[in-house]
Amino acid sequence: MRTPLSSSVALFAAAMATGAIAQNPGQAAPAFSVTDVAGKPVALADYKGKYVVLEWTNPECPFVRAQYKAEAMQAVQKEAGAKDVVWLTINSTNQSHSEYKTGAQMASWMTEQGAAPKAILIDPTSAAARAYAAKTTPHMFVIDPAGKVIYNGAIDDKRSASVSDRKTANNYVRAALNDATAGRPVVVASTQPYGCSLKY
Amino acid sequence: MKTIYFRAVLTIAALAASVAGIAAPVKTPHVEAELVPERTALVPGQPNTVALRLKLADGWHTYWRNPGDSGLPTTLDWKLPAGVTAGPIEWPAPHALPVGPLVNYGYEGDVLHPVTLTTTPDFLSGRDVTMTARADWLVCKETCIPEGADLTLTLPVANRADPDPRWGKAIAAARATVPQPIAGWTAQAHGDGARIKLKLTPAAGAADPGTLHFFPNDEGRIEASGKQTLARDGTAYVLTLPVAYQLAPGFKRVDGVLAASAGIGGAAAATLDVPLTGTIVAGPKPAGEDVPKLNLAGGGTAGGPELSLALAALFAFIGGVILNLMPCVFPVLSIKVLGFAQHDDDRATMRKEAIAFAAGVILTFLALATALLMLRAAGEQLGWGFQLQSPVVVTGLALLFFVLALNLVGVFEFGQFAPAAIRGWTSTNRTLDAFGSGMLAVIVASPCTAPFMGAALGYALAQPPAATLAVFAALGAGMALPYVLLALLPGWRRVLPRPGPWMVRFKQLLAFPLFATVAWLVWVLGAQLDNDAVLRLLVALLGVAFALWAWHAARAGGGRAWTAAAVVAVAGAAFVARPLFTFDARGPEPVASATVKSADGEWVGFAPARLAELTAAGRPVFVDFTAAWCVTCQVNKRTTLNRDGVRDAFRRRNVVLVRADWTRRDPAITQALAALGRNGVPVYVLYRPGREPLLLPEVLTQQVVLDALATL
Repeated sequence: MRTPLSSSVALFAAAMATGAIAQNPGQAAPAFSVTDVAGKPVALADYKGKYVVLEWTNPECPFVRAQYKAEAMQAVQKEAGAKDVVWLTINSTNQSHSEYKTGAQMASWMTEQGAAPKAILIDPTSAAARAYAAKTTPHMFVIDPAGKVIYNGAIDDKRSASVSDRKTANNYVRAALNDATAGRPVVVASTQPYGCSLKY
Repeated sequence: MKTIYFRAVLTIAALAASVAGIAAPVKTPHVEAELVPERTALVPGQPNTVALRLKLADGWHTYWRNPGDSGLPTTLDWKLPAGVTAGPIEWPAPHALPVGPLVNYGYEGDVLHPVTLTTTPDFLSGRDVTMTARADWLVCKETCIPEGADLTLTLPVANRADPDPRWGKAIAAARATVPQPIAGWTAQAHGDGARIKLKLTPAAGAADPGTLHFFPNDEGRIEASGKQTLARDGTAYVLTLPVAYQLAPGFKRVDGVLAASAGIGGAAAATLDVPLTGTIVAGPKPAGEDVPKLNLAGGGTAGGPELSLALAALFAFIGGVILNLMPCVFPVLSIKVLGFAQHDDDRATMRKEAIAFAAGVILTFLALATALLMLRAAGEQLGWGFQLQSPVVVTGLALLFFVLALNLVGVFEFGQFAPAAIRGWTSTNRTLDAFGSGMLAVIVASPCTAPFMGAALGYALAQPPAATLAVFAALGAGMALPYVLLALLPGWRRVLPRPGPWMVRFKQLLAFPLFATVAWLVWVLGAQLDNDAVLRLLVALLGVAFALWAWHAARAGGGRAWTAAAVVAVAGAAFVARPLFTFDARGPEPVASATVKSADGEWVGFAPARLAELTAAGRPVFVDFTAAWCVTCQVNKRTTLNRDGVRDAFRRRNVVLVRADWTRRDPAITQALAALGRNGVPVYVLYRPGREPLLLPEVLTQQVVLDALATL
């Protein structure tokens, strides 16, 4: 079932070269291969046949911190895990940026937060973020088992970095996963992401 | 005791706050926030403007109503006494602020956000009113910090109010710059796939608006980091807008702010709200693949006007005509023209000569262009001006011009050298002589083509070979034209004064432009090599001058000693100049561009890797592609780049200044030029993070540079 790393890298290179593959809802999710916090290669192709959530994050961003402090992000991560949805948290902060975090730093921060993703990925050249045109942290994508993007956008509908707002916010990723896993089309499939700029 | 003291302080503070218009600013590490009034009192029944003032630390920014790719707009939540209502924030026109490949819309510096307060007509005069607002903003630089403050402002209510002494003028000015609907202009928006064509028809007699940029009021409409291009359509302007990649539903109207670098409808920016016709689809993925990496290897063109072949040939032709007036060419051709003014030849001979001269000029240009094309095909990284990148050529030209000038001054006559047989041969083969004159004219012109027409010819070289040769042929035709006309239409000779002593003086006068050319070539050699080389060349020139003078003396009956002296002087000159000729004919070792060359004031040397790094890190970079032998480059440096206003603007925008010096051969610079679609200097380019590089014109003005910086 596992696609060899070399072929996923080739696919990624092809995606970058043609620019034809895009990731608006309904379109094929670009392949990527990055390493997790332990240095193990992880490719999107590894999870073919499953729902996958991509969460672009940056622990230095107040919008991200608000999500974790309110335990809103962890709650959706746990619900996703219970539904056998693969949750990948990606830090694409460029290694030249002052906010860059090593794998070990990311792992310990996520542990402190009680986060529950399937894997935490480090993308020091921002290549994966570029492939998805990720703009902010957080910026969320949901991919269906056929490899199509079914949600692209904000984490929720309260555009703020306030912890208390998270209680009343409507979480778009939760809604998309609920729709999709119940066999319904995703009602809100595209929103404008908000947050800090992704540190390319 | 302490408590009483503390209370007293509080009371005094409260008293102070109740004095009209006083409100203490709230300070955060990067922002100073306060509510400030335009007038000293609230007047019942009338609009009163107050403003949220955010004074931002250097390099930090806050956001417009549509923050662009990331960020959050500043918000105000009022708590007002009954009878007072507040309108929305009246947003000043935003700036596009690049952050890596992303673009935000917002503000830097000291920002006033005006708000109109309305009081009911029966609102009681004679009391103080305290207005409270919760302000929230996101302030970002490398990192983002959400901040907020509870702000208050106390104003008296009165029947009349004066402008506030501190804020009156500033707020009135801020209000005046809040974009309003365009006066007199009409606009239409038509969707065409992933693009929207915004057609703007100016009001009668409206001035050119300069560069335009459209800021959409809402997200999910226009891609913030996408390129907006402006074109003319008759009297109208067409601004092409890229549809957002993540297109939000319900895009029925194009509404937002149109900013114009030179002003539109009497303001710096105007609002726009027009229905969207046609059909649109979501745009391509933004930035993505073409984020700030510099494609230095590619041959693509980046911006710049597309020159058609016909237009390029026309410019080359005109350039060729003008070339006759250049100090290198003018004296030589003038002598030639005066020469046939003295003869009374038949028309047929004259016509033959004219054609031979033109053929000599055009074929020599074609030969030079072919040589350059072949060298490039063989893998040499060369561009036009390559001939002046070689110290051997510069030395040779300096000697040639010096000898020609001495001849004009009258130190010697050419005839003294040529054996009688050859002299006879040339006089019987005047057609061939004219052809040779054409060749000589191109050779003496070559140091002038590079400095003045380097960029245009460099452009021609970036085209397919046939087009390149056509442009060079047009240049030659232009250069030959005046001579040919003078030969074919002898009527002008009647206008000349009779031949006489004036012709000798005129000839001597013409030596001085040639001496000036020599002075310039010596300076170029100094820039290429060092001070020693300059001395060697000057000593060689001295030797040549002495030799020619001695030779002349010998011919005038001075005896053998003079001949010997001339030979010794030539040998000495050759010995001194020899090291200048031992360099590789193509110039000294190419400069290693991987290392940053020595800094030139605020300017750093050119290194492609460093350039890519800087732009990837979101720093704007201005590159000056220049050469010592390029006169236009030197003029631009003095009139524009070294001026205080421009230097300050560079500093304010935190622009990294890079000087790519092409005085000597440098393959990395040649490649970088090719990536920009150019092949000669000057080239000025502003690398903007996340956007296409902006090419500036070859002739700079301070305004051009400031306008370019305003797009950052």
